[in-house]
Amino acid sequence: MDGPRFLQIHSLHGYSAALLNRDDSGLAKRISYGGTVRTRISSQCLKRHWRVTDSPYALDRIDGAEAAVRSREIVTRRVIDPLRENYDSAIVDAIEEKFQTLVYGEKGGKKSSRQPLLFGEPEIQYLRQEAEREAEKIAAGDPDGTPAKAPSLKEWTKKARANLKVMREGVLLPGGLVSAMFGRMVTSDPEANIDAAVHVAHSLTVHSEESESDYFTVVDDLHRDEDDAGADHIGETELTAGIFYGYVVIDCKGLLDNLGDDATMAGRIAERLVHLIATVSPGAKLGSTAPYSYAGWMLVEAGDWQPRSLAEAFRTPTKPDMAAAEDAVQRHLERLDEAYGISNERRWMSVSGACSVPGAERVSMDQLATWAGERISCRSSSHDG
Amino acid sequence: MRWLYVSLHAPMGSFGGAAVDARGITRDFPAQSMLTGLFANALGWTRAMASEHERLQHRICFAALWRATGASVRRMTDYQTARLNHRDKAWTTLGAPATRSGGPATYLGSYQRYRDYHADLEMSVVMRLTPEKEAPTLDDLGEALKRPARPLFIGRKSCLPSRPLLGGYVDAPDISAATRAIVPRERGRYRVFWSPSELGATDFGLVRTTYVTDERDWRSGLHGGARKLCEGVLEVHGGEE
Repeated sequence: MDGPRFLQIHSLHGYSAALLNRDDSGLAKRISYGGTVRTRISSQCLKRHWRVTDSPYALDRIDGAEAAVRSREIVTRRVIDPLRENYDSAIVDAIEEKFQTLVYGEKGGKKSSRQPLLFGEPEIQYLRQEAEREAEKIAAGDPDGTPAKAPSLKEWTKKARANLKVMREGVLLPGGLVSAMFGRMVTSDPEANIDAAVHVAHSLTVHSEESESDYFTVVDDLHRDEDDAGADHIGETELTAGIFYGYVVIDCKGLLDNLGDDATMAGRIAERLVHLIATVSPGAKLGSTAPYSYAGWMLVEAGDWQPRSLAEAFRTPTKPDMAAAEDAVQRHLERLDEAYGISNERRWMSVSGACSVPGAERVSMDQLATWAGERISCRSSSHDG
Repeated sequence: MRWLYVSLHAPMGSFGGAAVDARGITRDFPAQSMLTGLFANALGWTRAMASEHERLQHRICFAALWRATGASVRRMTDYQTARLNHRDKAWTTLGAPATRSGGPATYLGSYQRYRDYHADLEMSVVMRLTPEKEAPTLDDLGEALKRPARPLFIGRKSCLPSRPLLGGYVDAPDISAATRAIVPRERGRYRVFWSPSELGATDFGLVRTTYVTDERDWRSGLHGGARKLCEGVLEVHGGEE
């Protein structure tokens, strides 16, 4: 069983008296939708806070040790072993020795001393091409020479060292997880790009913007009576309140590709991401607004149909309360399901339990996250070896 | 003739044009290359499949229309910042790592950039493929939209659609009839963009003709050439057709 192609994570999150995400004028980011202006949190702002948080669900706290077994063998399995069918073992052994040390570092020769590295398809394909080309060169060279001493191999080792060192640094766990999830772009070389497996929409309020300009003064407490009685600084900052609709899509196969097919790791990432979305604040101005809150409602859908945001539920702005928002989503989903005859597997969490979600089972937050992880980790490998 | 109709509905969408410095603009119509990329993504193609992309781009003929009658285009600009470091490096398939130029002082402040979007995007694209029988066919594209290989997005990855893209199929003798078949019957005016050389005569009211560079050379990754583009108005008079 292949598992679903996509996981869609919808959330409703309330914040009050905060300035979560600002534009270059210092005001809250906005977007016009359904004829009214909404407050917005940008995609990049959301992603950054999920990346750098030190919450217990942080990505860099994923235990990499278990994954390390597979990641230590990946060069052997996916790059070297395929060569054994077409080339002499002496040649392949020579190539293997060089590859393991260049990719894993000096101690790369011994499996147990290798660092856990996270290879995605772009890295594996590139290493395979390099290995194949160098094996071919040795095979075409002096038949009496020792493959390990072949001049072409020596030359390649010198040239490739810098590039592979940078690759190693980029794919070290846990840092490599960020690229696997959110992608990496190299403008000079599109083939080295890692495509983001996690797509994050900009979050917008389900109702019209609620904003207040907060006039503030700064007073010097060490002022003496003889000094000027005025404030040292006066200013304005914007404060907004809102229930934000968030939408994230996980490309399950893409995530697996970026993780070298490690379904267990992919499942762990999905599970953590659900928790991160629910609990990590994207907010700035921590000291003055304490913008911390947990999601009041989350829905996870698993399926193969084209992913689609539920923002249309809020095209007509709702009242600024959670029950109204949940009601709008329920009615929109019912209409969508009927119009398109589509159903995805669904699980949902709601703090208030005010409404229901068609075709969905209501669960706790932990159960929701675990279920999301399981839907991905059940996928079987699509690559041989 | 058979036409495919694609709905592009999203809270945010972008039809990128030539970016200047740190500003990425959006045009008011999808580029030929953008539609190609959208379908290639749905079909699960990789970037390395340059000749397939090239061929599909060549075959697509389309008209794009703004759905919201009389509504002005809602533009917005997103301000973005990034902390870059002069020591950032990345491996490449070219054999040497990519590095950043300049010293530490170059990267002291945040890198700022601006990206334009259409807010509350509601656009329809009516298109066909020539020749019809070659793979991928219009049906292949429709199936790919229904169950895509990867998540679909409109211009940039954060522009996730709020409706299924697959609008349906239309049988019509020409582009004018095909577009009329998908708009509501009530009286209205729609802003429409189309390529005259591929679609032939239309009954749209012509407003202006320009040349755009929106075709990509998929091997080099650069856009080039010029394609004649017409902008006009589709009038629906309402009542009996």
